[in-house]
Amino acid sequence: MVLPSFLIYLFVFGFPIVLAIVLSLSNYGGGKMFGGTSWGITGFRQYQRLFADPYFWNALKNNIYIVLVSVLGQLPLGFIFAYLIYRKTVKFEEFWQGVLYVPAMISTIVVGILWSIIFSPYGPIADTANHYYASAYSAKISGIFQTTGGLSDPDELTDQIIKASPSTINTVFSDPSVDLKDFLLSYEPGDTATLQKDLVNLLAPRWNADFLSKNNVAMIPICFVTLWMWVGTYLLIFLANMQKIDRGIIEAAQIDGASEMQIMGRVVLPSLSKVIANSAILCISGSLSGFALILAMTGGGPARVTQVLSIYMYDKAFMGAPDYPLANAIAIMIVLFSLALVGIMFALERRFGGKE
Amino acid sequence: MNQQQGVQMRGKRGKKPIRPGTILGKAVAYLVMGIFAFMTIYPLVWLFFSSFKTTTEFRTNMMGLPIDWTLENYRSAWKIGEFDKLIGNSVLYTLGSTVGITFLSLLTGFAFAKIKSKATGPIYGSFIIGILLTIQSLMVPLFLEVTSIDRGIGDFLRSLGLVGSGEFRLFHNTRFGVLIIYIGSALPVGIYMCTEYIRGIPSAIIEAAQIDGAGYFRIFRSIIVGMSKPIAMTLSILNIPSLWNEFALINILVSETNLKSLPLGIYKFSGGLSSDYGKQFAALVIGMLPMLLFYIAFRKQITAGVSMGALKE
Repeated sequence: MVLPSFLIYLFVFGFPIVLAIVLSLSNYGGGKMFGGTSWGITGFRQYQRLFADPYFWNALKNNIYIVLVSVLGQLPLGFIFAYLIYRKTVKFEEFWQGVLYVPAMISTIVVGILWSIIFSPYGPIADTANHYYASAYSAKISGIFQTTGGLSDPDELTDQIIKASPSTINTVFSDPSVDLKDFLLSYEPGDTATLQKDLVNLLAPRWNADFLSKNNVAMIPICFVTLWMWVGTYLLIFLANMQKIDRGIIEAAQIDGASEMQIMGRVVLPSLSKVIANSAILCISGSLSGFALILAMTGGGPARVTQVLSIYMYDKAFMGAPDYPLANAIAIMIVLFSLALVGIMFALERRFGGKE
Repeated sequence: MNQQQGVQMRGKRGKKPIRPGTILGKAVAYLVMGIFAFMTIYPLVWLFFSSFKTTTEFRTNMMGLPIDWTLENYRSAWKIGEFDKLIGNSVLYTLGSTVGITFLSLLTGFAFAKIKSKATGPIYGSFIIGILLTIQSLMVPLFLEVTSIDRGIGDFLRSLGLVGSGEFRLFHNTRFGVLIIYIGSALPVGIYMCTEYIRGIPSAIIEAAQIDGAGYFRIFRSIIVGMSKPIAMTLSILNIPSLWNEFALINILVSETNLKSLPLGIYKFSGGLSSDYGKQFAALVIGMLPMLLFYIAFRKQITAGVSMGALKE
């Protein structure tokens, strides 16, 4: 009865792991794997190459960011939200549960593309910001026209506009104090409405925070979306387990004068410690598979700064000339990394976990 | 100690428990959770409405409702993504693997829970390790495995003259390969959940059936399957969305359009086409709508199932 499952399991998990270990110690370069003599075991050379590659360390660092955001973001937020619902601090239990879980139902690819549009410099964030900037700037300009008397005093007007404008004015006019004045004077005095509009279009500050293509911040949207996607899942898990806690214990604590924070910290938290540890494991293995999300959001770019280990591995194996031994070494590193994290979780749970 | 005292005191006074949370705390709670709910609903609603705008209208009227409603985006996205081919595959992969996962998990779970054998411990343990591994980390060796096996078998059969000179396919670029690997990837969790569940079925029932002369397969068919309906339901409902949305594995297992699933088709709309917002939005809506409808239909069961996902070990 176990046999069919076990064979499939070996096919999907067991054999690939063995294969990964063998190939990561070899110089296999593609081609026939069985029967050929074109490759052999070469020892730990691949791992030396891996550790010497700065992109590996970068990918590992990004993975650690995502794990941190997941474990220190998703879990606590999920816990707090669940607690607020559980203690009826907020009403509409069904609504929060229903809505916050929605992101987990949507394909990661869809989520990735959607958020990359939202964060793009032509997307809705930028658009809203630009509308806001434009109306603020427009108010400033019309104020200036009123106080300076408009085109009747072009020097003063030019001066004031330069002061009120962002530094991009220097790219629009090569010498603002001269060129802007010429520009202003090219309009009919009665046509200040058009002039003001044109000035806003030309000079209003613009949103140009292109998060996903800036090396130093590109990971922030990715971490944010990771958080956004999974908070609801942990909310559901924690809430369901909180509802299993004996109500009497909490009422007792209340009557003994425990504050809300004390109830949360001393009663609810310890009785969920096992669930939290298991969720953390779920969370870690989930965050290590953030492959599709990053592929859809940035493809690992710009200049490979948002690569995580799985993207880095994918790149080595399937993009350009395949480097299978190195890719397999990365696979082994991912497995070891996740097992190490899971081990840490178990140790923490054993050390700090509450008794049940 | 305090517990008992407290319960007694409450019993005596018969007072309602004090309502927690000050006004300020409540306001902050509503605000933070409201922001999260907003960040969930708004982008999706925005996406939905934007998918009915032309790209030109989108540029000038990004945040408002569409003025000229158009279905053109859907028509061309459907064509470019070749979704007519992909939808069928997605349904097949999702339902086929779900049935396979559920059946095999129940069968194996029954064996682990109720049939005593020395091998149970180690084999069950090896499945548990599978829960901790992310299958995606193994996509490269998995790819090499399926392609090499196909090539190996192909060469062998060719040397016997059994197949022609064409490419031999068993696992790579076949629906069968996708199904097997999908089933395998979800088995560890499925078997774990089923084993724990079936352990809770009283052994006396099984022993009684054995005394009546029923074999294990008979017992499985007539007793276990019937009594395991709730866990089978939970397992299916958890697997359907994750299989439907699966991307990383099928991305390496299949390279031909007529074998691809929906997420692979949606992925086409990232990057390259991205200046053509209209089609992109339509493709995204096509991508998320089936599972949103599934969620609306089965929300109660999904919610219950998710919280079972983090069972105690």
